[in-house]
Amino acid sequence: MMPRIDEDACTGCGKCIEVCPPLAIHLEDGKARIEEEFCEECGFCAAACPVSAIGIPFPKSGAS
Amino acid sequence: MDYPHVFSPGRIGPLTAKNRIKYAATETNFNTQDGFVTDKEIAYLAAQAKGGAGIVTTQGAYPDLPGEGKGFRGTMSIAHDSFIPGLAKLAAAIKENGALSCLQILHCGREGGVDLDYCLMPSVVPQRLSYFKPPREMTAAEIGQAVKDHAAAARRAVEAGFDMIELSGIVGYLISTFISRYTNKREDTYGGETLRERCRLMVEVLGAVRAEAGDRVPVGIRLCGAEILEDRGGNTLEESIESFAIAEEAGAAFVSVTVGWHESSISVITRDVPMGHWLWVGERVKKAVSVPVMMAFRLFLPHIPEKAIAAGSIDFWEACRPMIADPELPQKAAEGREAEIVPCIACNLCFSRLYYHQPIMCTVRPSLGHEGEAAWGYYGFAPAGKKKRVGIVGGGPAGLQCAAVAGKKGHDVALWEKGTVLGGSVLLAARIDEGDEELLRPVRYLEGECRRAGVAVELGLECSPEVLAAAGLDTLVIASGAGFSRPLPGPCLDPVGIIGKGKKPGKSVLVLGGDGVGLATAVYLLRTGDYAITIVEASGRLGRDVSPFYLWRYLKLFRERGVVTLTRAKVSAGPRRAVAVTTPKGEQTIDVDDIVTAVRQTSEDLKSLYARCAPEIYLLGDAKRPRRLHNAIHDGYRLGLQL
Repeated sequence: MMPRIDEDACTGCGKCIEVCPPLAIHLEDGKARIEEEFCEECGFCAAACPVSAIGIPFPKSGAS
Repeated sequence: MDYPHVFSPGRIGPLTAKNRIKYAATETNFNTQDGFVTDKEIAYLAAQAKGGAGIVTTQGAYPDLPGEGKGFRGTMSIAHDSFIPGLAKLAAAIKENGALSCLQILHCGREGGVDLDYCLMPSVVPQRLSYFKPPREMTAAEIGQAVKDHAAAARRAVEAGFDMIELSGIVGYLISTFISRYTNKREDTYGGETLRERCRLMVEVLGAVRAEAGDRVPVGIRLCGAEILEDRGGNTLEESIESFAIAEEAGAAFVSVTVGWHESSISVITRDVPMGHWLWVGERVKKAVSVPVMMAFRLFLPHIPEKAIAAGSIDFWEACRPMIADPELPQKAAEGREAEIVPCIACNLCFSRLYYHQPIMCTVRPSLGHEGEAAWGYYGFAPAGKKKRVGIVGGGPAGLQCAAVAGKKGHDVALWEKGTVLGGSVLLAARIDEGDEELLRPVRYLEGECRRAGVAVELGLECSPEVLAAAGLDTLVIASGAGFSRPLPGPCLDPVGIIGKGKKPGKSVLVLGGDGVGLATAVYLLRTGDYAITIVEASGRLGRDVSPFYLWRYLKLFRERGVVTLTRAKVSAGPRRAVAVTTPKGEQTIDVDDIVTAVRQTSEDLKSLYARCAPEIYLLGDAKRPRRLHNAIHDGYRLGLQL
């Protein structure tokens, strides 16, 4: 699942850039941006973000 | 039939499996966060059953409502009756496709509580792996509840229509943490100095589950045959083996033998462990019990379990990773089509993704998780609307995979490789570390796929734009790999020269670039000679793109051999062969005999160079952006689908 970046929460620290295997993240106006073409949806960025600005939108069924 | 023992029927309690292959429980993260089975999971397990295994096991379903037993975000639940309809669909999908369906109940214990801020254990033993939650000691009431939860889960499994039930007590999961002396320090009746005392939870759970399952649904258990926790005060080997006998006494109808905990400090399932290495553990268990013994763990090729079953070391061959890579492994082995099996390379990409809340993915099989989507071609590709003449430059994994898919879709495909051997960078990767020659298996498989797809492969042909322009192509695919940057003046070696052409650097070596390629080059040098190595990496992290299952080994080797690693480092040329390296800690000058540049880059604007060669041009794999093997194969597969 493609990670989602909460731009308001992103501090532009760049931790996500360093852990991204395909180098698919860069800073744009001080905020992390994912190049979706190269993103391999590994989730490393979400795990590395110190302010939890990156989320993995895991599906819920809504049945419970 | 080359594998008469593997393909002979096997009894489990009152049931007969058509052969001795069991697809073993594998978490996928395909299900919803609240524990409901998805169509993706159903399609995946239907494919596993269709592939010919005698038994297909579901992933471990967690039995408790709070999710203390839940190890991964997308694990399915069996903690409430509302989950039964989804589970019933899963059971039906397995049975309709010819396999016995086995539901695994899994309380993850020390590795549980993925959505909580704690996990449950018999005693508080701090986590060694940072990913896992802080442990909380279970109360007697909580233990009683866990037994009841397992029993209720068993009732639901039977209602859902499963043929068999399996419990899991391995690697740090709840039952294993009670059995192990390392994690069970309890002074009540669930702990004790004797193994039998520590097995009490397992015995109670087995009893309660069997009572719900009845006589027609056999209940088995996976246990750890060798914990490999000697350094932490874990069980002795004798104790681990005895735990299987205690399980049999408690009514287990079959046992499955595993090796190692997730926190064991040696390699268990990586390529450096030779195939078949752990069979001795199964053999020990086999001598201790009379019920069927099953085992997985690096039994990737069918002749290995065939020999083991024939010798009486084990009764059933379990497979996780080899069947993630190819659910049709059983059928292909039975039909003598072994060369068509998509080969697992033990990269553990599947496994590592689970810990990052992502669905499993497979380096060598891009269709994983898309078995139910016709467009992904798992059951065959729809012919292309318009037959194109496709030319592919580069016979590495990206080019080969693209050619195979495009060819199977009916295109007229030619693949040109300038070297004399196919494989691209994999040819280098296969020489790095122990067991890495297994990386050549997917290359051979893809070569075969190209042959079967009618791709015209030509070796030793360098493709200039002029040659290509004359080829009359509709589509040109450039998969010619990457080159290496030259950040310093003067002569420089690179991984192709060192690993591919056998060039030997002087004793003191500076490796520029600390991603997978730089680290691999250093590992290769250390394994083939005595070198003083400094690795310089521009970012703050070494091995950014290296699987954690392998990275720890490389870093351990570097520590043992005194390799200096400098991160956030910039280099500039010093006098003679000295190199100035600046890091946040200051500047230093390093005298080196040789510099190896392992920083990959795409050498030029390939698209414009070849612009006039075909109406449509695509870049693939490292030629598009230098990355890893799975990116190359997935790039190739996806482009093949698109053409």
